[in-house]
Amino acid sequence: MQGQVRIDNLSKTYHTRQRKGLFKSEEKRVEALKGVSLEIKPGEVFGLLGPNGAGKTTLIKCLTTLLLPTGGEAWVNGYHLTREANQIRASVGCMLMGERGLYWKLTGSENLIFFGALYHLSPSARRRRAAEIVERLNLGDIADRSVETYSSGQKMKLAFAKALINDAPLLILDEPTNTLDLPSARELRAVVRELNASGKTVIYTTHIMAEAETMCDRVAIVDRGEVLALGTAAELKASLGREEVIHIEGVISAQAGEAVQRLAGVSRAVRAAVDGHTQLTVVAQDQRALLPRLIETLTAHDAVLQKIVPEEVTLEDVFIARTGRTLADDTWVK
Amino acid sequence: MTATIRPSFRQKLSAALAETWLRLLNISRYPGQLALEIIIPIVFAAMPMLLGRATAGANAAANFQANTGTSNYVAFLLIGSNTFTIVSSAFWHIAYWLRFEQETGTLESIYLTPTTSMTLAGGVALYSVVRGLTSALLAYILGCLIFRVDPFAGDVLLALLFILIGLIPLYGVAFLFGALVLKVKESNALVGLMQWVVSFLMGIFYPVAVLPPLVRLLALLFPPTWMVNGVRSALLGMGFFFGKWYLDIAVLMAFALSVPLLSFWAFNRVEQGVKRNEGMGEF
Ligand SMILES: Nc1ncnc2c1ncn2[C@@H]1O[C@H](COP(=O)(O)OP(=O)(O)O)[C@@H](O)[C@H]1O
Ligand SMILES: [Mg+2]
Repeated sequence: MQGQVRIDNLSKTYHTRQRKGLFKSEEKRVEALKGVSLEIKPGEVFGLLGPNGAGKTTLIKCLTTLLLPTGGEAWVNGYHLTREANQIRASVGCMLMGERGLYWKLTGSENLIFFGALYHLSPSARRRRAAEIVERLNLGDIADRSVETYSSGQKMKLAFAKALINDAPLLILDEPTNTLDLPSARELRAVVRELNASGKTVIYTTHIMAEAETMCDRVAIVDRGEVLALGTAAELKASLGREEVIHIEGVISAQAGEAVQRLAGVSRAVRAAVDGHTQLTVVAQDQRALLPRLIETLTAHDAVLQKIVPEEVTLEDVFIARTGRTLADDTWVK
Repeated sequence: MTATIRPSFRQKLSAALAETWLRLLNISRYPGQLALEIIIPIVFAAMPMLLGRATAGANAAANFQANTGTSNYVAFLLIGSNTFTIVSSAFWHIAYWLRFEQETGTLESIYLTPTTSMTLAGGVALYSVVRGLTSALLAYILGCLIFRVDPFAGDVLLALLFILIGLIPLYGVAFLFGALVLKVKESNALVGLMQWVVSFLMGIFYPVAVLPPLVRLLALLFPPTWMVNGVRSALLGMGFFFGKWYLDIAVLMAFALSVPLLSFWAFNRVEQGVKRNEGMGEF
């Protein structure tokens, strides 16, 4: 069976001009996608996990025909990316860049009805569909207020509602929970799960590991325009093989981290700030053998250790093992 | 799924009308602007009127008759300033539509839908015509009443014909201009500049016959020049460019057939170029 989405060696290079003084400018090329190939199956929630700047949004803009790729091909819902762009747009519901993208002077309902018209729904179908979505997402209290009076979270919810207006078989959500508070994010994820259960295929991008792990049937880990790994969360974690992970919390200097990295048997040691202290993630072959030397090395570098937890591998650890960076670090593409 | 993959003409029309409705809804939330739109052209026409009275005094009408073929300089100026309202609303509405939506992020939202930019452009043009024409007509009648001249002397239907046919190439030029706005990502300065050039060329306060030959040729390449002259000739009887009304209409028709094609082509090219590079959302 042909997938819901097939992406074949897709690449995208941005050309920008960087100003150098008053009249001089220099052309800069940003390779945002470097030959991405993927297949997304009907009915799955497919995650794109990667740090800011990884190329997730660029990939989505290519798939929704907002951008023309520099190379490669793709089929979305069986339609060809460039030859059948209108059909693709008709058959995809997309939430991109959140609260921007709405008409702030109009009410929530007016926004939904307007976009319904652009998806060629009949006037009565627009109103019916808008009312259904308002009901389903509990937007009743705010639906008749102008969007400019909404809180940021309410705007995000309306942006999500807009992606549902054409009742498309494929939903593409670009960091949908980005500015939401925790309860709203949980609520939105529950709706996405329901929609998926009712048969919709979902592409879900995020830079939050836990979200990818709980939401997605399969995850592609993306970094610097490339797919580094792809599979179910369990498969990805298993791909670390015999490697294990130790999380160490406390006050740990950069030198201490580097010293750990140099220890035999350590494949990665990555420092990150978490809630005001330092977290050192160590990926190693055999933690039992390593632990004494690890503690010795850290204390020798004046580290204060608060917690040492040999842990279950997470998707974040997979990312760290592959790139040597955490998902919280912004990627930059040369 | 509720969305239609291959929309019919009626569905496209319905999408265009939704865009028109959206614009009208949006502007209805700024009522002050609408009132201003009716007052400004009257003030705009009153200035040269008063200057004329100051310089030529009681002979103003006679001098004007000798130079232009009509003594009704009040209507002449009001027609000029109100046609300019129509012309400038075309430029503003199209340019501002694209630029504003690009800046607020809604342009990307509408490019996500299967409705093409040309369909939406049609909807915006309809809104713009409704708004421009209504305020021009109201301002013209109100101005004539204030300055005590008959607004509907002459051939009113012919004047309307000139306006209606003239609107087609006018919006063609406006979309050509919209393509430029998308390309250089700037609207205020461009529209500002354009307004001065247009108001100079189309002859708001004078017949283009008084322009130097080269400038006059340039003016005649610009469709609104034919529109304003047609309206003045129909209402005030001051002479068509080619002598007969139907010859001038034929010229406007030729513009109406060619200019929209040109702007369609240019707009598509710019659109593809933007998609090939950074995308509609960047500004
Ligand atoms: N319009 C643009 N012009 C130039 N570079 C861009 C543009 N949009 C994105 N980029 C660059 O492309 C890379 C990928 O960006 P993006 O797709 O937004 O990543 P993500 O969504 O994963 O955060 C980044 O390095 C970003 O700076
Ligand atoms: Mg992004």
